[in-house]
Amino acid sequence: MRLLVLLWSLGPLLWQLRTSLLRPEALVAPLLEGNPWTLANYRLVLSGDPPFWRYLGNSTLVALVTTLLTLLLAVPCAYGLQQQRGLLRWGVGLGLVGAAMFPTVLLFLALLEIARSFGLANDLLALSLPYAGLSLPLAVLLLRAAFADLPVELEDAARLEGLGLGQRLRHVLLPLLGPALASTGILVFLASWNEYAIALTWISRNDLLTLPIAIARIGGGSVFTIPYGAFAAATVLGSLPLLLLVLLAQRPIVSGLTRGAVKG
Amino acid sequence: MKPRAASLLLMAPALLLLAVVFLYPLLRYGWLSFHASSVFTGLVPVPNGGANWARLLDDARFWKDAGQTLRFAVCSVALELAGGLGLALLLHRPLRGRGTLRALTLLPWALPTAVMALGWRWILNDPHGPLNAAIRSLGGSSYGFLSTPATTWFFVVLADVWKTLPFVALLLLAGLQTIPEDLEEALRLEGAGRFQILRHLTLPLLVPYLALALLFRLAQALGVFDLIQVLSGGGPAGSTESLALYAYLNAMRFLDFGYAATVMLATFLLLLVLIGGGWLLWRRGDLPGPRERAT
Repeated sequence: MRLLVLLWSLGPLLWQLRTSLLRPEALVAPLLEGNPWTLANYRLVLSGDPPFWRYLGNSTLVALVTTLLTLLLAVPCAYGLQQQRGLLRWGVGLGLVGAAMFPTVLLFLALLEIARSFGLANDLLALSLPYAGLSLPLAVLLLRAAFADLPVELEDAARLEGLGLGQRLRHVLLPLLGPALASTGILVFLASWNEYAIALTWISRNDLLTLPIAIARIGGGSVFTIPYGAFAAATVLGSLPLLLLVLLAQRPIVSGLTRGAVKG
Repeated sequence: MKPRAASLLLMAPALLLLAVVFLYPLLRYGWLSFHASSVFTGLVPVPNGGANWARLLDDARFWKDAGQTLRFAVCSVALELAGGLGLALLLHRPLRGRGTLRALTLLPWALPTAVMALGWRWILNDPHGPLNAAIRSLGGSSYGFLSTPATTWFFVVLADVWKTLPFVALLLLAGLQTIPEDLEEALRLEGAGRFQILRHLTLPLLVPYLALALLFRLAQALGVFDLIQVLSGGGPAGSTESLALYAYLNAMRFLDFGYAATVMLATFLLLLVLIGGGWLLWRRGDLPGPRERAT
């Protein structure tokens, strides 16, 4: 049963690995002689112009900046929302749930207009702005749930000690939010690493593409001309960081997703 | 400053960005949908009354895509819920290496949709893809999976299920973990079988989580874009085109921003009716929502 599950989720990926290691001729027909295995696809991808690691770097940079920006905005917002009562709390909460469910591709046209009129297209770091906006609903909901779990007495005590709001947040509340911050951060990182529609329309310069767009472009030609060996090598290289992240951060990812379900 | 006013100030930057990213586009689309803005107007918006909306009502392609999108969403979400439930039940049992198993099953969800869609395109390639190679080695002949509407549709659904099933499974796993083991134990002592426990205890208690996964996944599936754009390009002959892809094509290929905005807004409204209606029905019913259960 376990094996079946693993085969289902890893099978297509293992096939990419196999494809990436085969010589192009061996993809089309079984070779009659010679060694069908090669690293040439990887060499091709890594020596491209721009080299593949450039896209990895672009995606990592955008995702990191987005994660920081999102947390920076979401923490105070979640805290503030937790203090609110009545209609405002209810309305903002409902709006956040609605926004978290919204299919983001429907937003790309208006965001593209904004990008063009402010000269933000082809600006890698500017991508973090819409990305942070798209990630905020889930981040605020997760962090608000985490704030709600902290005992009220804790903050009251700190207030009686004369600590101001900023000090309470920094020295008392945030240290206790570590796990929630980690899982929220990882989910935001994954979402912005994988985003497609906005990156596709904002970035046209070849050396600024994010990883999903770059890989999709490698395969962009007609079905018959896709250099599948090179594409598979790119997929494997692009998946490795995510594989590592998921293996290392399995616990916070799962707890983040499940908290989202319980509180969301 | 009063604490409540101060906390409002804390929320302001995030709310501002949210308004720009979510609210402004909807308002802008509302405005654009009453303007012509295309190559014919030099991409300058010119008021054209309700021409866009009149065109939408008569647009066979829009309604065909709406039907296709709905069919895709219903089928893939149904399969995801069923499969996700099975996977969640499996991952809930104490197993050796459960953490690693969870991480590895989660991997498809963590990969970029566009990338894995291209991977599927290679698997289905005619004649060189591994699927066709397997068919040939069994004595059959190559089949154009992506040039036949029925098989293309099937594999688009399969690819979506493959990618999002782990996500649904995790949501449901969270639900399973809230069910006290004593309850299950008590039923078992009374002589209830595994299937009876599932039907009379587990499933009823999972309903809020199933409903949440259903609403969330339905909203996402109705906006499906990158999977279809990369895997089938909406083809063959537009048979897998989704509303979001049609809106994208209107904007980026036909350069008709006015009509693209109309299609997007109409898609959003359809979504609102479906999801909002579902949400209200759920809230109206006597089912406990997840928030009440959590507190």
